[in-house]
Amino acid sequence: MSITCEEVQKLAELARLELTEEEIKKTETDLDAILGYVQRLAQIDTTDSKPTAAEAMSEGWREDEAIPCDDRTRELIYSNFPARKGNLLHTPGVFSAPKK
Amino acid sequence: MQPLNELSLTEARAALDNGTITSEQLTKDCVTKAKGLNGSLNALIELYETEALTQARDADERRKQGNSAGVLDGIPLVLKDNILNQGHVVSAGSKMLANHISASDATVTHKLKNQGAIILGRANMDEFAMGSSNERSAYGPTRHPRDPERVPGGSSGGSAVAVAADFTIAALGSDTGGSIRQPAAFCGIVGFKPTFGRVSRSGLIAMASSLDQIGPMTKTVKDAAILFDAIQGPDVLDQTTAKTTPFIAAWKKDLKGVRIGLPRQAWGEGMQPGVRTRVTEAIDVLKNLGAEIIEIDLPYVEEALAVYYVLMPCEVSANLSRLDGMRYGLRLENLPLFETYAQSRAAGFGPEVKRRILLGTYALSRGYYEAYYLQAKKVQTLIRKAYVKAFETVDVLLTPTAPTTAFKIGEKTADPLTMYLEDIFTVGVNVAGLPAISVPCGNSPDNGLPVGLHLTARAFDEANLLAIADCYEMASK
Repeated sequence: MSITCEEVQKLAELARLELTEEEIKKTETDLDAILGYVQRLAQIDTTDSKPTAAEAMSEGWREDEAIPCDDRTRELIYSNFPARKGNLLHTPGVFSAPKK
Repeated sequence: MQPLNELSLTEARAALDNGTITSEQLTKDCVTKAKGLNGSLNALIELYETEALTQARDADERRKQGNSAGVLDGIPLVLKDNILNQGHVVSAGSKMLANHISASDATVTHKLKNQGAIILGRANMDEFAMGSSNERSAYGPTRHPRDPERVPGGSSGGSAVAVAADFTIAALGSDTGGSIRQPAAFCGIVGFKPTFGRVSRSGLIAMASSLDQIGPMTKTVKDAAILFDAIQGPDVLDQTTAKTTPFIAAWKKDLKGVRIGLPRQAWGEGMQPGVRTRVTEAIDVLKNLGAEIIEIDLPYVEEALAVYYVLMPCEVSANLSRLDGMRYGLRLENLPLFETYAQSRAAGFGPEVKRRILLGTYALSRGYYEAYYLQAKKVQTLIRKAYVKAFETVDVLLTPTAPTTAFKIGEKTADPLTMYLEDIFTVGVNVAGLPAISVPCGNSPDNGLPVGLHLTARAFDEANLLAIADCYEMASK
């Protein structure tokens, strides 16, 4: 099974990655090789096998609750905002028309 | 007098405790060595010289007052650049997070600081821990301490070199498919990946969350035990940490009654002759210590690399989707939303990261999910069961850590699959969530470069694993 340029382009859109023509070609070659290798899994009989999670012995999900944050931590989080207005995060407009 | 930066953690602890050295002297020697050699080796992205020396003087003051903070008090350590350290830039070796300041400490960082450790710097790594050579860092490749034309392995290559070249007493790395153990083998140090669930990953920049584990990279096995003990334990901030009996070191004088399994599947082609020679000699050492060597079947484990290269990219594509230029990380401005995402990510990520995101996106797409992700999860279960069955007959499993010794820079970057094969012996352990260690077993007769011996144990049986590794290390010195 071989992956096409169009498929790579579609994946790039889904993954929100802009790729150059050259990157698309290279990705096509690389993914073909890797997918060719992992195809071996299709040969394995897994009729009686179920997906399992790691043997973690944890207590599972915790309550979803807000944890108080000290001033220093809060200020450091603000300082990482790519664009900031006061203590607010500035983002591009959500409803502007996409080019694609 | 031996430069203090060459001391092991155990030796440094003893020397600090009996007052023959101070933490300031120890830290100064580490800083001097790092400043002298980092320009050529590129093991550290950043060295916190002033801060480290201040912390060292504080540690000396504490011990003078009789208030030692613990077993790591005054010991300089290096963190891989994906372990958060409050107030410092931590970038995961990526341009995406080039200016990203940690808002809080990772749980492991918090524990180290509480026990008085001195954080000396952050170590270079393959971008987002994706690589086996440290050539994939956005900050340039790290070089092998014995041969600058060669790679140190990866992705914790900077941590490995910092330890091997004596910039630091010890370091932390992270291991998703072999990223602690393979660079440890290449650089001739000890690299230890604990059981999944032993060490909190809170504050570790995630690559593949069902596989990632933090662990020690040290000069000796006993050092690894000390550092592991300092970072282990359940954590409310990481729901995958296990509530189970903690690790307590239990050293052995010999290996009488210990059964060591050699998986038949591992000894085929692809292994360098020099690697085979040294590992075979190590088996003789273990026999002489009284261990029983048993050849065993380990079915399905040769499929672990394929399972890994499906599951890992799937988790990567999900985990790295948060890096979209909105709340933190690189943002390319003044564009509509879709283009802001796509161009920020295109500019922030390197080629290997993009490749794995695309691979994961593919494997999780409608129509492919069952064939790839679900099938890989089912084979993962078969692999887990195969290990459990093997451990009914043996206590540990033995292979080389990597099929080769350190290779030349550029030798494997053109073909990703060749690079991925570096993980063939280490990756099964991550897929099954088990503990494993790489211990130096001499230099290859082919090229004089270090070879690593790889031991794997039952889940949460680190005490036995480290004891066997220590026994070998003592006997082989």
